[in-house]
Amino acid sequence: MSVATWVNDTLVRDPTERRIFATLAIITALLVVGVFAGVIGPRFLLFQVALVGMYALLSLGLNVQWGYAGLINFSVAAFWGLGAYSAALLTAPNSPLGMGLHPIFGFLAAIVVSALVAILIGIPTLRLREDYLAIASLGLAEVIRLIILNERQWTAGSSGISGIPSLLEWLPLTSAATTASIVVVLLALTYLFLRRIHRSPWGRVLRTIRSDEDLAKALGKDTYRFKMQAFVVGSVVMAIAGAFYAHLNLYIDPSDLVPLTTFYIWIAVILGGTGSNRGAVVGAAVVIAIREGSRFLNDIAFIGNLGLDVAPLRLLFVGILIILIMRYRQDGLLPPKDELIWPSAQKESSAASRGAAASDGGVVTDGTTSGGPSDGGENQ
Amino acid sequence: MSNDGVYEGAHLDKDDPVLKTRGLEKAFGGLVATDDVSIEIERGTITGMIGPNGAGKSTLFNLISGFYEADAGSVFVNQTDVSDMTPPERAHEGLVRTFQTPRRLEGMSVREAMLVGPGPQTGESIFPLFFSADDVTREERANLEQAEELLERFEISHLIDQPSTDLSGGQLKLVELARAFTTNPDILLLDEPVAGVNPTLANDIKRFIRELNEEGQTFLIIEHDMPFIMDLADPIIVLDQGRVLMEGSPKEVRTDDRVIEAYLGGAGP
Repeated sequence: MSVATWVNDTLVRDPTERRIFATLAIITALLVVGVFAGVIGPRFLLFQVALVGMYALLSLGLNVQWGYAGLINFSVAAFWGLGAYSAALLTAPNSPLGMGLHPIFGFLAAIVVSALVAILIGIPTLRLREDYLAIASLGLAEVIRLIILNERQWTAGSSGISGIPSLLEWLPLTSAATTASIVVVLLALTYLFLRRIHRSPWGRVLRTIRSDEDLAKALGKDTYRFKMQAFVVGSVVMAIAGAFYAHLNLYIDPSDLVPLTTFYIWIAVILGGTGSNRGAVVGAAVVIAIREGSRFLNDIAFIGNLGLDVAPLRLLFVGILIILIMRYRQDGLLPPKDELIWPSAQKESSAASRGAAASDGGVVTDGTTSGGPSDGGENQ
Repeated sequence: MSNDGVYEGAHLDKDDPVLKTRGLEKAFGGLVATDDVSIEIERGTITGMIGPNGAGKSTLFNLISGFYEADAGSVFVNQTDVSDMTPPERAHEGLVRTFQTPRRLEGMSVREAMLVGPGPQTGESIFPLFFSADDVTREERANLEQAEELLERFEISHLIDQPSTDLSGGQLKLVELARAFTTNPDILLLDEPVAGVNPTLANDIKRFIRELNEEGQTFLIIEHDMPFIMDLADPIIVLDQGRVLMEGSPKEVRTDDRVIEAYLGGAGP
């Protein structure tokens, strides 16, 4: 039923989305064919799947904060690092804490620690204008990175923590397949959780706050509470991604906590479509595809013969992609489409009205200055 | 302040004031924007508030609704002192306002925008979304129905699927009024409800305000459009230079020398 509506709404009504999904399907098919043809190692591909899943979790977390509520959080890497270090410190036998606990405690600690830090940073900043959170989170990111780097007796500093156990080793799968499956499950659960809280009165108030916080206040919404909840939920999702990464990579050091990680996640959310959960997932996949795919560009004979090291130019590709998106699809690849109305309260006629809304959406896209020329051109 | 024999401004000691201010003061640096303002709004009235530019009308609105913190004085809603409350808390006490220049709710249809009004809703907390989903569904259905009825009543039900960003200024003002009404307020503060609205729609708005008032809704309305407010409101409070200049019926206001002086003669001593 819901698949049918999705096919009807997306693949039939919206040609641009149809093209995007078709492209994604072709790329996926090519990757699978590549594995069977022996060009791509299955282990490598599964590791990439796990990376995409982790990035998707991070993007989903940031999407709750920025996409739902308009909170500017520049400490994505810090919350991710808090999660990763919580897991590493508690589970690795040779970590400075040397506890060697079961991974479940690592995940629990990641959730608790990130929620606490989010609340502590939220209390002074979320009552103020949105820019204050942006500034404070920039500071927080550096503070957490420097603490982890310098407090060696607790965190092992720049030498990092190794010997983090893999997850669910008893499963009859290769470790790569196990981690990839785990991230898919984590991602699916997070996605369903976030979709439920988003398409609800709660998500609706957040979207109102994002546009006009004063209006939300005037209508009796305690905007501080809503913003705090969104900030904590988003931060916890990021920390879960970090804890997962610790068990994926089996080694963690502070060099991953650099602002560049935060930057990549912002790109993923903006590329995918701010405020859109499916966009966050697709945006994460695109960013990973560019980041990891560009490593192999030098292997292509034509580019290799240029005598130019192309791989380090990946940030340039990301930049070009952003410019293209901003020019041709301002709201991102898969912008939010759903009305934020509790699904089971929508009437029988909802299918019809949703169709109307979707076609209205198309009209709007055509009307915007950026979308107009390209769409028009393709229709002719 | 409330020594009424001497007080020359607003009429105080009304029978059943739904909103009451006492000695409200607010200064921005050296500029006194609100100077010892005490007013009372009688339940069931449409009270107008006029005054030349810079008279302090919007500042007073912001003080009453809690968006500005007063330097001195207090605000009462239904005899409850709300002076230390935040804007959302005051809204829960029954005091709801609209804005002079409403921002369009990006990415929201008119239907969604209307549904933000009622509150507090069960589904505005995270846990009930998982553990009492049925309550959320029931409330949401009722709110949807109410939204549809109100839009129909305001003769804009054809806009329900429109993105808020596509509305004209006048349509937006109507949606705002309808949404503010869904909060079930004891008093609605409207900040220039017909500014920039075409005359036909302004007449519609006037008619709807009057209808709601006949059903018992109390209004306090700031408006620059003199014919509009003189026709709609009674009594009218006149502000000038942060003070209450006078309060009276439209007729009294129209013929009062001080009002004419304030509007025409400038602010000179």
